[in-house]
Amino acid sequence: MRTRLSFVAGGIGGLLALAATPVVAHHAFNAEFDANRPVKFRGTVTKMEWVNPHAWIHIAVKKPDGTMEDWMIEAGTPNTLFRRGLTKQSLQPGMEVIVDGYQSKDGALRANGRDLTLPNGQTLFLGSSGTGAPYETPPKKKG
Amino acid sequence: MRSRIRSVLIPVGSAAAVALLWLVVTATAGQAPTAARFPSYRAPRLAGHSDLNGVWQALVTANWNIQDHDAQPGVHPELMGAYGAGPAGQSVVEGGEIPYQPWALAKKKENFEKRMMVDVTDDKKWHDLGDPELKCYMPGVPRATYMPFPFQIVQGSGDYILIAYEFTTTTRVIRMNWKGEAPADSWMGWSRGRWDGDTLVVDVTDLREQTWFDRAGDFHSDALHVVERYTPISPYHLMYEATIEDPKVFTRPWKISFPLYRRMEDHIQLLEFKCVPFTEELLYGRLRRQPAQASQ
Amino acid sequence: MSRRFVSSVGTALVAAVVSFPALAGQARKAPAKTATWTVSHTPWGDPDLQGVWNDATSTPLSRPGGLSEKQLLTDEEAAEFQRELAYNLTRDRRDGGAQADVNRAYNEHWMDARRLTITKDHRTSLIVDPPDGRIPPLVPLSPERQQARSARADAAARFAAGLPDNHEDLSLPVRCIIRTDSPPYLPTIYNNDFQIFQSPGYVAIAPEMIHSARIIPVDGRPHIGSTLRQWLGDSRGHWDGNTLVVETSNFRTDQGVIFQDADPATFRITERFTRVDAQTIHYEFTVEDPHTWTRPWTAMIPWTRIDPAEQMYEYACHEDNYDIVHLLHGARIREKNGETVPKRIPER
Repeated sequence: MRTRLSFVAGGIGGLLALAATPVVAHHAFNAEFDANRPVKFRGTVTKMEWVNPHAWIHIAVKKPDGTMEDWMIEAGTPNTLFRRGLTKQSLQPGMEVIVDGYQSKDGALRANGRDLTLPNGQTLFLGSSGTGAPYETPPKKKG
Repeated sequence: MRSRIRSVLIPVGSAAAVALLWLVVTATAGQAPTAARFPSYRAPRLAGHSDLNGVWQALVTANWNIQDHDAQPGVHPELMGAYGAGPAGQSVVEGGEIPYQPWALAKKKENFEKRMMVDVTDDKKWHDLGDPELKCYMPGVPRATYMPFPFQIVQGSGDYILIAYEFTTTTRVIRMNWKGEAPADSWMGWSRGRWDGDTLVVDVTDLREQTWFDRAGDFHSDALHVVERYTPISPYHLMYEATIEDPKVFTRPWKISFPLYRRMEDHIQLLEFKCVPFTEELLYGRLRRQPAQASQ
Repeated sequence: MSRRFVSSVGTALVAAVVSFPALAGQARKAPAKTATWTVSHTPWGDPDLQGVWNDATSTPLSRPGGLSEKQLLTDEEAAEFQRELAYNLTRDRRDGGAQADVNRAYNEHWMDARRLTITKDHRTSLIVDPPDGRIPPLVPLSPERQQARSARADAAARFAAGLPDNHEDLSLPVRCIIRTDSPPYLPTIYNNDFQIFQSPGYVAIAPEMIHSARIIPVDGRPHIGSTLRQWLGDSRGHWDGNTLVVETSNFRTDQGVIFQDADPATFRITERFTRVDAQTIHYEFTVEDPHTWTRPWTAMIPWTRIDPAEQMYEYACHEDNYDIVHLLHGARIREKNGETVPKRIPER
């Protein structure tokens, strides 16, 4: 018999905000990024900062009028990617990426990267060589 | 006539001999024993290697300046008086001077002039100003070794050695006989250790370029490569040596060395120096909400 | 609000709203007996806990509603439990509208995948005592603590609205002061890693977030003087058979330091680390505070060995904490644009 979950009034969003390991206390994403300002654009990576607490992907975006904008896309902790075998070589300047996210509430050219994909539709960090997810191959071992 | 000369010569000769003996004695007494002058020492073994466990601390003033430096009034002497002043110290750099490339001296001077300035309001210029120590950033290698705080080596029987520094509770994992690469740069670098006889040799790469060597603004690039040597020379001393290589900034590799002293107090332990709260007003104070503020 | 406070409130609420009627009706299955395993020792004779360990799990701290008497699940129930929890916690869902989407932020590939799995022993909660698997009833707060808590809730409301007054409105993790390293150790969304080092007379535990090491003497020396206060307290250990028992005191009294906002004057914590097999440490903690809970309570979280294939990495935090500036600078801009903090409805 399938188990049915009962939700708080307010739907999934409310439930997630109260999840057993909450994100709210570390970072109020709803507070910083605007659900009413979704962004989706294609740009070229100019720099990736593999730093904590958040990695940042710098992207040059060409606007419809031909001018360029520099965006900073917030991502997660790079340490989890390291444990999957990724390194600073995994995302090089010049790569084209598609960013699907939400812009900062203060209007800055900053967004949290809800989805990061390559132009061919692959989720980012599946490996630019296209031979499969780096995190499916064992990380470099000692010895 | 001859007997008179002879009688003069003998006292003169004795005086010369006495004088020579005096010189030899004082010369020996005045020189500090270095590793070469300690009776040869072999540290107790732990799992087949020198046991380096303990709480250690450097006594040199290299954190102020790793080269020769006079006492100095420090910043804001009108507020800090003698509290903020810096001591004099002799260079820990073998040969005395850091072999900077000519362009680098201007950068060092700029670092020094801006060591107490901070501005974190622009992400792109976050690290452009200020001594990282001022901001309570992890000091990198080798600076962590000669910060004026103790550190503890926890060496066991596993494949890793921990070095824990009291300054901002910095930690560093030495991976023994490790072949893997660092995935990215880090403030304390990627440390691979091995034993060379009784000496622990640590090869450090992939250091963040933003660390400094001292408060004098001595700096490096992302090409920094440090090789450390920790050698027990007595039950109470390690000799620390670090060879520094950075072809983007220096004309050749260079080396620092100084002893580390075992902290001997009963029940010595590292206490906490979590300095982040001490820097928040400096870094973020200008972003406080002002009552009834009209403009940013 | 402290991370721990939100966690306990959150967990209690999950327990209240997530019901498992199908599971509640089924018979309990006792755990299988495992073969005896002998712990190895260091050359100086202490049980060997050395290595890199991970504690991620989806098993909740408090037992969910509808399962109050059920400590263990059958294999089939466990699979269902895991599936439901993973569904709730995954960041890869795209239902729920834009508000939910923003909060889900970056996807699962940035998270510790092990946090979507329940503990191997199929327990329904990390809490093992009291037997109902729930945090005990709370003792009413003194007026002073009520007032302090209310002030902090106001600060949290400002933070949640994206309009913090200053850095002190931000939590200790956001300020990069303490995070997972503050005892007791609880699973979180990523970087659930701890490296244990040992040397004669010491056990050192280095959590990944935020860089620090509890270097625990096991030689029976006394704590530091009682007027000395530390963010991570002062720890002393001793071996009880193969179990490392750690007592920690001398905590600072700042908000967010003491677990679940308990009273610093009367809070006590004991942790126990037992290597139960080559790949597993059982980490158990007992907390008590007569000014906060009506009785002591205990939870057990299994730790799994991950090295050498996986390593713990440096978690510098303050050094590149752009977020603080974004939050504070952004708040000043938005105030200028006329945004205000919604009035907070006080908790009852």
